[in-house]
Amino acid sequence: MEVLDFLAQGFATAFQWRNLLFALFGVIIGTSVGVLPGIGPMSGVALLIPITSSITGGLSPEEAATSSIIMLAGVYYGAMYGGSATSILINTPGESASVVTTLDGYQMAKQGRAGEALSISAIGSFFAGIMALIGLIFLAQPLSDLAISFGPVEYTALIVLGLATVSGLAGKSMIKALIMTVAGLSLSTVGVDTITGVARFTFNQPILYSGIEFLTIAVGLFAIGEVLKTIAERDYIHGNLQKINRILPTKKDLKDSSMPILRGSILGFFIGILPGAGASIASFFSYSVEKSVSKDKGQFGAGAIQGVAGPEAANNAASGGSLIPLLTLGIPGSGTTAIMMGALLMYNVQPGPLLFDKHPQVAWGLIASMFIGNLLLLILNMPLIRVFAKIIATPPKYLLPIILAIAFFGVYAVQVTMFDLFLLIACGVLGYLLSSNDFPLAPLVLGLILGPMLENNFRRALTISNGDYMIFLGSTMAVVMFIITILWLASPAVFKVLAKNNILNKEDIHTED
Amino acid sequence: MVKNLKSGIMVMLVLVLTVFLAACGSGSNEGAAGEATSGGSEASNYPEKPVTFIAPSGAGGAFDTALRSVTKILSDTGLVEQQMTVEPKPGGGGTVFMSEYATQDTKDDYKLFLSSPTLLINNLKKEANTPYGYKDTTPIAALFQDYGVIAVGADSEFDDLQSLFEHMKANPSELSVAGGSAPGALDHLTFLIPANEYGLDAAKIKYIPYDGKSESMTALLGGNADALASVASSVSEFLEAGKIKVLAVDAPERLPAPFEDVPTLKESGIDAEFAIWRGIFGPKEMTPEAKEFWSTKLEEMVETEEWQAELEAKGWEPFYKNSEEFEQLLADQEQRITDALKSMGMANE
Repeated sequence: MEVLDFLAQGFATAFQWRNLLFALFGVIIGTSVGVLPGIGPMSGVALLIPITSSITGGLSPEEAATSSIIMLAGVYYGAMYGGSATSILINTPGESASVVTTLDGYQMAKQGRAGEALSISAIGSFFAGIMALIGLIFLAQPLSDLAISFGPVEYTALIVLGLATVSGLAGKSMIKALIMTVAGLSLSTVGVDTITGVARFTFNQPILYSGIEFLTIAVGLFAIGEVLKTIAERDYIHGNLQKINRILPTKKDLKDSSMPILRGSILGFFIGILPGAGASIASFFSYSVEKSVSKDKGQFGAGAIQGVAGPEAANNAASGGSLIPLLTLGIPGSGTTAIMMGALLMYNVQPGPLLFDKHPQVAWGLIASMFIGNLLLLILNMPLIRVFAKIIATPPKYLLPIILAIAFFGVYAVQVTMFDLFLLIACGVLGYLLSSNDFPLAPLVLGLILGPMLENNFRRALTISNGDYMIFLGSTMAVVMFIITILWLASPAVFKVLAKNNILNKEDIHTED
Repeated sequence: MVKNLKSGIMVMLVLVLTVFLAACGSGSNEGAAGEATSGGSEASNYPEKPVTFIAPSGAGGAFDTALRSVTKILSDTGLVEQQMTVEPKPGGGGTVFMSEYATQDTKDDYKLFLSSPTLLINNLKKEANTPYGYKDTTPIAALFQDYGVIAVGADSEFDDLQSLFEHMKANPSELSVAGGSAPGALDHLTFLIPANEYGLDAAKIKYIPYDGKSESMTALLGGNADALASVASSVSEFLEAGKIKVLAVDAPERLPAPFEDVPTLKESGIDAEFAIWRGIFGPKEMTPEAKEFWSTKLEEMVETEEWQAELEAKGWEPFYKNSEEFEQLLADQEQRITDALKSMGMANE
């Protein structure tokens, strides 16, 4: 087995004390970066590049490239571990991939189950990370071919399917969920159109040219909205937050989570390899799948552990999967991997079809170090959970101002404009009003993320076909996805009819008795 | 009722608090900005904080790659001690960045950018343009040239540019051409100018814009585009790996490996040259000290061995022009692009 030989060499590289230290340093920084909203994996990696280049200054170019990419990758997946913490504890998603974790994670925290939620997300992330790596080692080549064959038509179909999963995010009313989705899609059209460059809904304000920042909307709707809600509904008087009962999940929790973690890992890995699709879609998909296969759908949105385990596994697996197009094709699938590619280029290591031949030490050293890094993260995170979970026990009179401060700091750190702070406040008020009227917030965020991807790919496909809509039925993969979409949307109605028949049949039997 | 009123008051209080916090944020921001301008006036002190270089294209694209080389060599050779960061700013083929830069950063000595003739095209084309051109910046130096290429997939039926153009002439609107920038921008012109010269109808060429050069390459590799317009440095790795065929380079003579077997446009019988320079710009109202600093440093940089080695490694041709020469070049090229766009009915008039 040639692959195993290379992997063994990779482990030899990764086990050098220097590289172990770099991996450890990387995952620690990654976790802290993930915990703070605003500083996501992308800015974390970007900020570290100059530091790594000066630390590795004395090494040969090949060794320096290996050590720094090991550290930067550590930051990347470390941030994915840490990102769930604020979502679960204070309803503040730090990046798009952890939006969906707020839905059930925060509910679990409110019920005093923050420890279980945090530990199951760490365990799920660990398994997903390892599975994605195994996939990366054995399937990188065939999958990279599949990833590039994904064209505008297939992306359009995938995103339509993604939007259909809104049904999984809906609270009580499907119509309200759809209203929110359309609102999200409409907001996403603000800014300069990337296909033609025409400015839309910008009112000649340059601040709107680059569109509305997702983070501002998400933090406003979720975190500020929740703060306002707590105050307005006087939750704090009753000392609503219960004591943290335990840190480790119960046997039942583990049993309930094992299948969601497995499904989330596989789903996340495959969506992760598609350039541009990434971790956020994977986590939304995973949530909807878990909700639809669950027997007890009412639990979702009220603290179902499956709603945390699945998406957290999915977003971690996706970050592993996204390394495939980066390493084998030189195509960065996300902002973070693009910055990592830039770091490799600094050492004149060009990721791409020749990477594994030209720089085996870098490629295999990185893969091997990720096994070690994931293990380090699990070991590091378990004791940290006890510390994090304490946050929940902070009296609201201190906790609420802290949440506000973190939210403002996070948004300002990314956007550095006053406009976004005002937008943040507006979104907070909006989030409070919407959620207290049972309008689900996640579909709006999903629409905002998927809008530009849907529009650009749809228009590219139509340009290719000279405006012929039949192009969308010309690809087998796309047709399969459209069929799944239709089945997904139709299934509740179909099940309802079936269920009715069943009841009728049973009643028939009863009457015969 | 009273309860509602109270909760209303609480909400108001929080809002007041948040506005207050926001105001504090603004105050400190202004303070920082003030510091920056006062710092700029003391020549010896510039640069006294990290400098950001913006690549107005997708991450990993040609501008990004170029800036990372430049900043790495400036710091490796010790020419610039201050920390330099590279920030990709995609969108609208560079118009998004330019609209922001020319309106909000006119005095920021710590924000420079790298561009190409795209800067001129975005200002001159009819659709999706920006009102801001090179006159809204301070040109500091042109550094090197990159050459336009036209490529097809490795298993494409076309082996030379004539057969591709001939097929497109006979079957208009059949083949699609992918590029990493907006219609009318650089990649589009890289294809359009020779095609136009060959006698193809510009309006019938199906150009599909992607968000960057790596995305457009993905489209070609995955069979979602029939041809690709890009630059030599962005495709060399894929040519070397045998994933694509490069039909022609837009260069005065053949380029070194891996392009040694690729004919120039002239060899393909098409007489159209469109040179693609890369240069560094500063904000319009850049202080003379900052301009002087970067002019000197960049002039020193292009003389270093490290820079020569980098040019060779990346397949770039040396093309240094100092600030005055660069401005002259820009004025000349503005005229040429205007003419080219006019002949295709795409000029902003």
